[in-house]
Amino acid sequence: MRSLPLVPKAWKPLLCLAISLGLTAFLLPNDYFFVLFNIMALNALVVLGLNLLIGCAGQISLGHGAFFGLGAYSSAIVTTQLHWPLWAGLAVALAVTALFGIALAVPTLRLEGHYLVMATLGFNIIVSIGLNQMEPLTGGPSGLAAIPGMHLGPWALDTDRRFFFFAWSVFLAVFAGVLNLEDSRIGRALKAIHDKELTARTLGVPTPRYKVQVFTLSAMLAGLAGFSYAHYMTFISPSTFDIFYSVQVITMVVVGGLGSLWGGLAGTVILTSLRELLHAMEDFQVLVYGLLLTLSLVFFPQGLLPAALNAFWRAGHRTPSRSMSGPSSPKDDARSIYGSGFRALSPSTRKPDSSKAKNIGETPVLRVANLSVQFGGLQALAHVSFSVHSGEIVAVIGPNGAGKTTLLNAVSGLVRFTEGHVAVRDVDVSRRPAHEVARTGVGRTFQAVQIFEHLTVLENLMVGMHHFGRSRFLQAMAHTLKERREEKELRRRAMELLEETPLAALAHEPAATLSLFQQKLLEMLRALAMEPAVLLLDEPVGGCSPNESRALMDWIATHQRVGMGMVLVEHDMNIVMAYATRVVVLHHGRVLAEGAPLAIQKDPRVIEAYLGRGRRGAGQP
Amino acid sequence: MDVSLFQQIPQFVVSGLTHGSIYALIALGFCMVQNATGIVNFAQGDFVMLGALMAGTLLKKLGVPMAAALAGAVLFGALCGLALERGPLRHARHRHVLVLVMITVGVSISVRGASMLVWGKNVHALPPLGRETPIMVGSAAIVPQVLWIIGLSLLILGLLYAFYRHTLLGKAMRAAADNPYGAVLMGISVPKVTALAFGMAGSMGALAGTLIAPLTSMSYSGGLMLGLKGFSAAILGGYGSAMGAVFGGYVLGLLESFGAGFLSSAYKDAFAFIILLAVLFVRPAGLFGSERVRRL
Repeated sequence: MRSLPLVPKAWKPLLCLAISLGLTAFLLPNDYFFVLFNIMALNALVVLGLNLLIGCAGQISLGHGAFFGLGAYSSAIVTTQLHWPLWAGLAVALAVTALFGIALAVPTLRLEGHYLVMATLGFNIIVSIGLNQMEPLTGGPSGLAAIPGMHLGPWALDTDRRFFFFAWSVFLAVFAGVLNLEDSRIGRALKAIHDKELTARTLGVPTPRYKVQVFTLSAMLAGLAGFSYAHYMTFISPSTFDIFYSVQVITMVVVGGLGSLWGGLAGTVILTSLRELLHAMEDFQVLVYGLLLTLSLVFFPQGLLPAALNAFWRAGHRTPSRSMSGPSSPKDDARSIYGSGFRALSPSTRKPDSSKAKNIGETPVLRVANLSVQFGGLQALAHVSFSVHSGEIVAVIGPNGAGKTTLLNAVSGLVRFTEGHVAVRDVDVSRRPAHEVARTGVGRTFQAVQIFEHLTVLENLMVGMHHFGRSRFLQAMAHTLKERREEKELRRRAMELLEETPLAALAHEPAATLSLFQQKLLEMLRALAMEPAVLLLDEPVGGCSPNESRALMDWIATHQRVGMGMVLVEHDMNIVMAYATRVVVLHHGRVLAEGAPLAIQKDPRVIEAYLGRGRRGAGQP
Repeated sequence: MDVSLFQQIPQFVVSGLTHGSIYALIALGFCMVQNATGIVNFAQGDFVMLGALMAGTLLKKLGVPMAAALAGAVLFGALCGLALERGPLRHARHRHVLVLVMITVGVSISVRGASMLVWGKNVHALPPLGRETPIMVGSAAIVPQVLWIIGLSLLILGLLYAFYRHTLLGKAMRAAADNPYGAVLMGISVPKVTALAFGMAGSMGALAGTLIAPLTSMSYSGGLMLGLKGFSAAILGGYGSAMGAVFGGYVLGLLESFGAGFLSSAYKDAFAFIILLAVLFVRPAGLFGSERVRRL
């Protein structure tokens, strides 16, 4: 069963759903209930798209009513006024919603979350006004009638019962596709974007493109629902597609649990039925929706349904919570690193320069030339040049505010530089977006640890391997054999990376439960998973105990033997002196000195920069 | 046709400034909440509606004199703002920004639903301040209410400016907006400052409602459109900048009034949102805002 395309991993509940829907069809007493269920199926499609957008990309749209309407109207217009066939209507509906989706997403998704809410809301109002005012095309407020009915080839879906089977089959197929997407390389990347967008970019995830794609997909699902609605009802009017519809579907999503696909379905079922129940007291409808939305967000942020299930679950089993029983203490981890073959000589006994110089390659893996960064009037970096050869650890040191982190940000494409060039393995990556720089071979860690807390340890690593995968949205949704093989291979490689580390036993734990040391280790592993040519380490041992620091550094230093170049930003001079092959000293954004660690240690200019010059300099600002 | 349109230009200017003042007040409300909490308060427009309808009730049902009715409505708006902050938002204060924004959406819908039950679906009007006979200035007829609107909003804007610049409390609010953690360390009570911001935003919205209702009348659903236009004005001026909000309000009012006059009155309401989308497309920081640097 699981080896068939389109069949998601969780096929059992899906099959149960399909069977119970099939049974429902025979239990429903009259057409009224069929209409209810049919509207439910269409709402569920819109909710599915919204949930994909929220759960994966962390964006909320208050404009899906407009996409629903655009799908309905564009197909209705071409089939009634131009007499195009139904499939052409579908194609037009999908194309129109996709185009508007892209046009709306490209500019607004650059911005932070709530701008999209406002932009989509504004868009919804414009569309509502347009549908009402463009009378020749849309029929104005009185709507469009005599839309051709739905048919599948020769079979007319003209009864509510027949349409029931059509609508729910479409929903189930799309649902399976979205479940597959969530469980794929793309889905992981989307969750990573939701969690920490900039971090995802530095791992080679093309975040702007994915966000636009997921928004477009979500808009097209609403368009598909709109198309079905128009040809099912054969009459449409603008009031169906106003903001209140958008609010309704958002309420369904919220009640079911933000981003939970199954919860969204439940929310749709509950609220669509509720709407019918409230039909008698129409005046209360707005208030009830508003209160439901507010209360479930305030009191049940994970959704009414998941909250109810949780309560039920807790009443049944009294198990200790997961975080209590989980990982071992950080001290044990430090020891287990020593014990698992990573042990190197302790810094005091090793002879740094002779052993380190051996494997340094001829060509630089990273070349930074004449790099300048300006923040407003502040010159953060001025004409910084240095290069890193394979197998080399170049430490960048300097007093606070010298521009060390800015340098790493500029190299990895997170900060725009005003002047200069950055080349990775002789490929110029100057002014390229961060994800392209990452793909060219720049891995990095952050001063404040940046792991995807909502993903497991293994999934975190697999995001690091994102650029090795090839499958795209459609392949992921269809769950093709090729996609499946690729996924298996990525999983195997991630496990392999984990194998010899203390994280191996925690592969399937949520990353949020790890200790700081484990998180630092995971972050480095994730960067290594990219197989970068050069690894940028921003204070890799900050916050770790001396033992942990040494263990971590010894372990990471083993990777220089396989030819990786590293840039190490670190305050701990013992670490710098023990591990660096070369040291670059930054001061006020300029390179003050560069050379072997021992020479740097004695350089009077460096000492002056760190300790000051004594009385003569003290008077100067 | 063209000649008569050009003759109407002074009228367009007056109408633009009138609506612009209202948008500026609403935009300021958005701006205060944004600066205090970093969230977009969707219920801002509903404060406008509540202010207008409350003033009407006080005036007509309870027979309160005009000035007291206006003051009562503004006070009511402030209480509503406080209730929003003290209630649902404070309860959920540690959630993601997007959840908080959606809570204000939910509150906005609830308020609208409740107002429909209280005030019905009909449109309510307020009597204007001062005389009803228009004053003729050149070819433009100016209703005294318009002068009240422009004058009162300018007064409020001036007072606010002085409050933020020259009082300790105003400075504390700016500090808390800039860096809440630092403000706490300086002994500023951020929850109190936040509540104050919501209260001020509520009263600002209610004032806007009582001022505009005599010209356009108000119904339970009228807050949504005004609120969104105020938001567009705030975005246009640069979100979070008070100066920008005021400027954006007047620019939006003028653009809307000229657009309706010269292009198409049917799409009058769409202009604000086309401008909103255009600003987001071209210059998301707005006219006065600065591009925020995101940090890791």
